[in-house]
Amino acid sequence: MIYLELVVQGIVQGSIYALIALGLTLVYGLLRILHVAHAALFTLGGYIGVLVTNSTGNFPLAMLTAMIVVGFVGIAVYKLAYEPLLEKPPYIALIASIALFIASEEIFRILFGPYGLSYTNPPLQLSFELLPDFYLKQGELLVIVGSIIMLTVLALVSGKTRMGVSWRATVTDPKMAQAFGINIQHVRYWNFFVGSALAAAAGVLVALLNNLVEPTMGSVTSYKALAIIVLGGLGSIRGTLIASLAIGIIESFGTIYIGHLMNRDAIAFAFLIVVLMFRPQGLLGAK
Amino acid sequence: MTKPVLKVTDITVRFGGLVAVNKAKLSIEVGELIGFVGPNGAGKTTLMRVITGIITPNEGTVELLGKNLEGLAISKRIRAGMALAQQVVQPLREMTLLENVTFACGGAKTLNPITAMCSFNRDEEKDRAMKLLKRVGLQDSANREPSELPLGYLKRLEVARALALDPQLLLLDEPLAGLNQFEAGGLADLIVDLNRSGLSILLIEHNLREVMRICPKVYVQDQGKPLAFGQTDEVMKRPDVVKAYLGGV
Amino acid sequence: MAYEITLITTMAISVLFALSLNFITGFCGQISLGHAAFMGVGAYTSAMLMKAGIPLILTLPVAAALAGLLGLLVGIASLRVKHDFLAITTMGVVFLFVGIVRQQEFLGGEIGISGIKSSPLGREGFMLFCILLAAIFAAYSLMVKRSWMGFVFDSIADNEDVSRVLGIDVPRYKLIAFVIGTSVAGVAGGLYVQQFRFIGPDSFGFVESVSVLAMVIVGGIGSVWGVIIAAAILSVLPLWFQFIDDYKILVYSALLFIMMRFAPDGLAGLTNRLIKSLRKKV
Repeated sequence: MIYLELVVQGIVQGSIYALIALGLTLVYGLLRILHVAHAALFTLGGYIGVLVTNSTGNFPLAMLTAMIVVGFVGIAVYKLAYEPLLEKPPYIALIASIALFIASEEIFRILFGPYGLSYTNPPLQLSFELLPDFYLKQGELLVIVGSIIMLTVLALVSGKTRMGVSWRATVTDPKMAQAFGINIQHVRYWNFFVGSALAAAAGVLVALLNNLVEPTMGSVTSYKALAIIVLGGLGSIRGTLIASLAIGIIESFGTIYIGHLMNRDAIAFAFLIVVLMFRPQGLLGAK
Repeated sequence: MTKPVLKVTDITVRFGGLVAVNKAKLSIEVGELIGFVGPNGAGKTTLMRVITGIITPNEGTVELLGKNLEGLAISKRIRAGMALAQQVVQPLREMTLLENVTFACGGAKTLNPITAMCSFNRDEEKDRAMKLLKRVGLQDSANREPSELPLGYLKRLEVARALALDPQLLLLDEPLAGLNQFEAGGLADLIVDLNRSGLSILLIEHNLREVMRICPKVYVQDQGKPLAFGQTDEVMKRPDVVKAYLGGV
Repeated sequence: MAYEITLITTMAISVLFALSLNFITGFCGQISLGHAAFMGVGAYTSAMLMKAGIPLILTLPVAAALAGLLGLLVGIASLRVKHDFLAITTMGVVFLFVGIVRQQEFLGGEIGISGIKSSPLGREGFMLFCILLAAIFAAYSLMVKRSWMGFVFDSIADNEDVSRVLGIDVPRYKLIAFVIGTSVAGVAGGLYVQQFRFIGPDSFGFVESVSVLAMVIVGGIGSVWGVIIAAAILSVLPLWFQFIDDYKILVYSALLFIMMRFAPDGLAGLTNRLIKSLRKKV
């Protein structure tokens, strides 16, 4: 039974990572920038989720608000930080992004205090017995189901709608896409909106699972999400999803078996480094 | 019997499903100037990159002065006696032309990091570099940076830098592209000059006029496959060679 | 007087640390987001040895050696990966370091190591020692910059592939840059231990790596003088203005962002451009 628990835990964690990492992959695929500041959007989503739930008592409303507001903030980040730096060498945008992220952590700390906020009436806390002796919290189920729904919607949109097709065209060849009349700006805005909204959703869900949102909750997750997209092969959506689940599960089992040697985060990074040594382009990356 | 300076045997390069080079075969004797021609997409640059080690072939061998280059890193092949002037120019952008060539002249000092760390004088190399820039006609732009200069100049920089390495085999990938008739003729004359002083040269070129003028022998590749190898005037008259050019566009 | 001595000593250690990163990132163009890990290796090594009674000065070569060894490993790993992958790998290294150190009881675990004895040189003596080491490495950096090794580093930072085609054994040079840069970071770590007499797993994490990278970038990647000035100022800014201390990280990161956005070539770049435009007017 413990294996099943570990696997499910791994899937829950992996789903969270997937929601976050997807936004990163979307940005990388489009702009070749490692969007570290993405984690700030994750944390912001968490804060909005808690604040709105606490004031309105309406969790679904909070989720929606978080996703939409943060979506727009994501676009703002693009305009403020990345658009002006597109012509410069990529490490400049990377460092600007890191700086932005660290600054945002501090801003959260200054605005909301270092100890974080909690739900006054945490929703979805009940557990139910999925299988004999194996309990799953409603929140955890929501994470898994929610991620599947969001990712499926995303897949459908990118495959079937005009925006989705435009996006894929722009990723493959921006100049060609422009020649076809695709508005690159709009594609970019949508890109950041969707990625950021997903991160916000992840933030709300994590705040739910832990009943806590605090300023540094984005940090390790963000760096890990970066490690995940690198692991999956930068720019590969499928790779990102596979890597997210892989890391989630490896951490889950790893902490039990080698947790005395290194903590959970170190395990994830160790795995990343090992894989990159054998496949420098990541699991599903192009050589 | 002396070893050929370059011997390419059955080199095959596959990219996914595409065969870019198919059993390429050519040899250059010491002191020869060989033209390497073929329609667009013939795989000429790919073969050049195999010779320098930028690409690893799926099959075949490359020998430089009898030495099999298999597994050898690019920098080691260069040090073994070859130099390349690339088709897609890659100047060191943060340096002036003079600095670019001066650096290339410093081969002895840059061989290992400890020697490099203890060497400070650049005068000797600067002098040599200036002479090389003169040879390719770039002396007036010596202190300018690559970003300020047109493609033709940068192509000549590639040649100057390659010469700075004092190679026994010079690989030139379309050095005349982007030059007007006068400049192209001048650079072609330089190539003949270099060859006369003993440098073996493999010249990829689209400018058939100049190739036929200066190269005694020519190697023709079409769609990755060797098509012909021999005396230029004979080869270029062959019907299959003519067809490859006309048919290939 | 004691306050000024602390200030200057802190400056000297930060300058040494920043110059060591400059060697790797500035000279050789390898972006490292995990440099604090090497300082950490040096720090923990010195701390453990000092607690066993060995004087600081004898621990420094050991600290340098271990940090350099880790640097060699990371350097070798860096050869296989490019650009963005390299940045993330170096980031992984520091998280790995912190994550492993936390779990080891013999390294003090979460609590860290404390109770280090103060320097037998006295506070002033130690300050002078730190300044001396920083000055030596600064001089060495300047020397390397003028040498052919600096020329090679310039070329590698400019275009690695071209460097190979010009006969440069790029891997060897990169590894040397890594080993030198990381060993010196290890020495800075040893000095850090003596100065603060306490270290913990959080002393050498990602934020510290970004802070030192900020010093290098604000100074101007590759510029020895720029980095010295930037490191000196940024390291003591929070001490000078106490109220900044609480906002130190916010100030650093905001500054870094502004630099990246408006002046990515740092103080050195700004100075150069200023000089050029003044020359034009004259």
